[in-house]
Amino acid sequence: MTDKGGRRRRSSSILQVYHEPPEPIEQLSDQSALPNLNANWVNAKGAWTIHPVLIVCLKIFYDSIPGVSQETSWTLTNITYMFGSYIMFHYVRGVPFEFNGGAYDNLNMWEQIDDGAQYTPSKKFLLSVPIVLFLLSTHYTHYDLAYFTINFLAVLAVIIPKLPFSHRMRIELFSGNTDD
Amino acid sequence: MDLHEVQAHLNVWLQDAAVTFQKVPGSAVLIRYVRSSYQNDPVRSAIELVLVIFFIRYLMAPSYSTSKQNYVKLTEDEIDELVGEWTPEPLVAPLAAHEQAELDKLPVIVGPTGPKSKLANGKTVTNLASYNFYNFNANEQIKEKAIQTLRTYGVGPCGPPQFYGTQDVHLKTEADIASYLGTEGCIFYAHSFSTISSVIPSFCKRGDIIVADRGVNLSIRRGLELSRSNIKWYNHNDLEDLEQMMRKVAKEQAVKKLTRRFIVTEALFETTGEINNLPKLIELKEKYKFRLILDETWSFGVLGRTGRGLTEAQNVDPTQVDMIVGSLAGPLCAGGGFCAGSKDVVEHQKVTSTAYTFSAAPSAMLAVTASESINLLQSNPEILLQCRENIRLMRAQLDPRSDWVVCTSAPENPVMLLVFKPEVVKARRLSVEDQERLMQECVDEALANGVLITRLKSLPILHHSSILKDGAAHSVAPALKVCVTSALSKKDVEKAGVTIRHAITKVMTRKTNNKLGVPAA
Repeated sequence: MTDKGGRRRRSSSILQVYHEPPEPIEQLSDQSALPNLNANWVNAKGAWTIHPVLIVCLKIFYDSIPGVSQETSWTLTNITYMFGSYIMFHYVRGVPFEFNGGAYDNLNMWEQIDDGAQYTPSKKFLLSVPIVLFLLSTHYTHYDLAYFTINFLAVLAVIIPKLPFSHRMRIELFSGNTDD
Repeated sequence: MDLHEVQAHLNVWLQDAAVTFQKVPGSAVLIRYVRSSYQNDPVRSAIELVLVIFFIRYLMAPSYSTSKQNYVKLTEDEIDELVGEWTPEPLVAPLAAHEQAELDKLPVIVGPTGPKSKLANGKTVTNLASYNFYNFNANEQIKEKAIQTLRTYGVGPCGPPQFYGTQDVHLKTEADIASYLGTEGCIFYAHSFSTISSVIPSFCKRGDIIVADRGVNLSIRRGLELSRSNIKWYNHNDLEDLEQMMRKVAKEQAVKKLTRRFIVTEALFETTGEINNLPKLIELKEKYKFRLILDETWSFGVLGRTGRGLTEAQNVDPTQVDMIVGSLAGPLCAGGGFCAGSKDVVEHQKVTSTAYTFSAAPSAMLAVTASESINLLQSNPEILLQCRENIRLMRAQLDPRSDWVVCTSAPENPVMLLVFKPEVVKARRLSVEDQERLMQECVDEALANGVLITRLKSLPILHHSSILKDGAAHSVAPALKVCVTSALSKKDVEKAGVTIRHAITKVMTRKTNNKLGVPAA
């Protein structure tokens, strides 16, 4: 039996780490047939501004809820932004619109940006936003240890998948399926 | 220089540094920030410091691409050498001798095509090589309608359907076909061959699973290739094998992310003329949760009491077939194709099916002709009976009486495909090329005796695409193609049948051909 899709898995285990296999030539040609509209917008004008704007909006929103202290408000803002960006950049795979026959179905948005190149200006910017937000929120939570821990874990969750070493890396927990 | 001096120097240097630092704008803010953030917690401060250092390192790193550069770096000389060595292949390969001979002998019809056609060499022959099964080509009622439409609507719509190419007659044809078949909706394509090649990729995407018959026609194969789906093949017309394949797919998929699954097959097979078993297909598709794309190109207007196709012939509710793809170009004497199914299926194609969105709408005249042909079939089912009677007569002349050939087509199929009997192929050790050549000789011999037939012409299945990799191989047996028409009288049909049979016998008993049977000593 030939291997299907090139992905090899060993027998079932608790934790599996593997890299997404390289695409066959047909998939690569489908990928390059059209510009990747799903990922290219991060390089567009205004795509950088939207991050601070959203963060400010979130902060105003949490401030407007009665009974929420400044510390909680900053922490909530931080967590919401990190959670949202994790879902958007690292959790969802593929392209939400149909224009290239599913050529990017195995890659998340971070891996699609700039065709997977590392340390590009957009990626540097997108990494700096959570770090700056984290430093700000720890400062304004007056370095309370509990808030610091929560905020730090949140920032780690979005920084680690952005690092070059985790490019196309997949981690699966309790996957019982074997491909043979 | 002793320790004190060093300390003094260091102090001076540190003070200088502090003064310089204070002169930098914003330094006060930084000092305040560090001072307030330290808060007697060195571990936390260290973590933040590490984060900031990492951040600065990240910002300073140069960018690089992760895509593999899979080409060899060549020097200018090497490039020149390679370019010099390169001789381009001809765009079109020169024709082989037999291909050229066939091309030269290709009969050309002068004037209208019909049961008796006049050839360019002045001879009038019995035409058993066209899909004009009911002679709608010469039907006065259809002609009158077509002329009227031509006068009102002009020649062509000059635009794709979504770009004001759609006219009221196109919508009427779609409605007519849908109500004739008994489906919710229908979409009218401009070109029959490209209909299914476009329908398949508009629904099936990368990652989806298609289980297809090995014997499907070229147009379906093109569609499968374009879909980029995961294709599994089952043995030609072997529903046991299909079930096995479906069971395997269902088992594999049970633990994976859900994908769409399809069965793609033909109602009447183009390359063998065999009929499919639709009730069994429906049963399997319901059992294993697949969708069914049925190509009725050769059965629409042919099978069933009023020509509705396989669904009518085998008493299956057409709404149970997800997509019925058919042709209006053959016996209906119009042009274009259609895909019938539920409203959603039809609406989806209006924006995603390339053959529909990117080609100009068919001319109004073709739409009206199709509607009128369907109308005729519906109101006069005896047209089909007449054709079936002729098929029976022709079959009686060829199949049981010939020592050489056997008809693989279903008894209702007006396209009769005659292949050499297996024992003949075995006894004479006929290769596929030999069979093709003998078939062509039979065609030439029949034409010399006033009967125009043809042979099955199929392109070899190419293995260039990795999507159609393992299991796609399927050999198509060379066959003679005799297309029966209802317009011939009983006497004419029998006479033509005898001519064809005698032509085959004559070719097969020729001395030169007989030698093939002598084993190389």
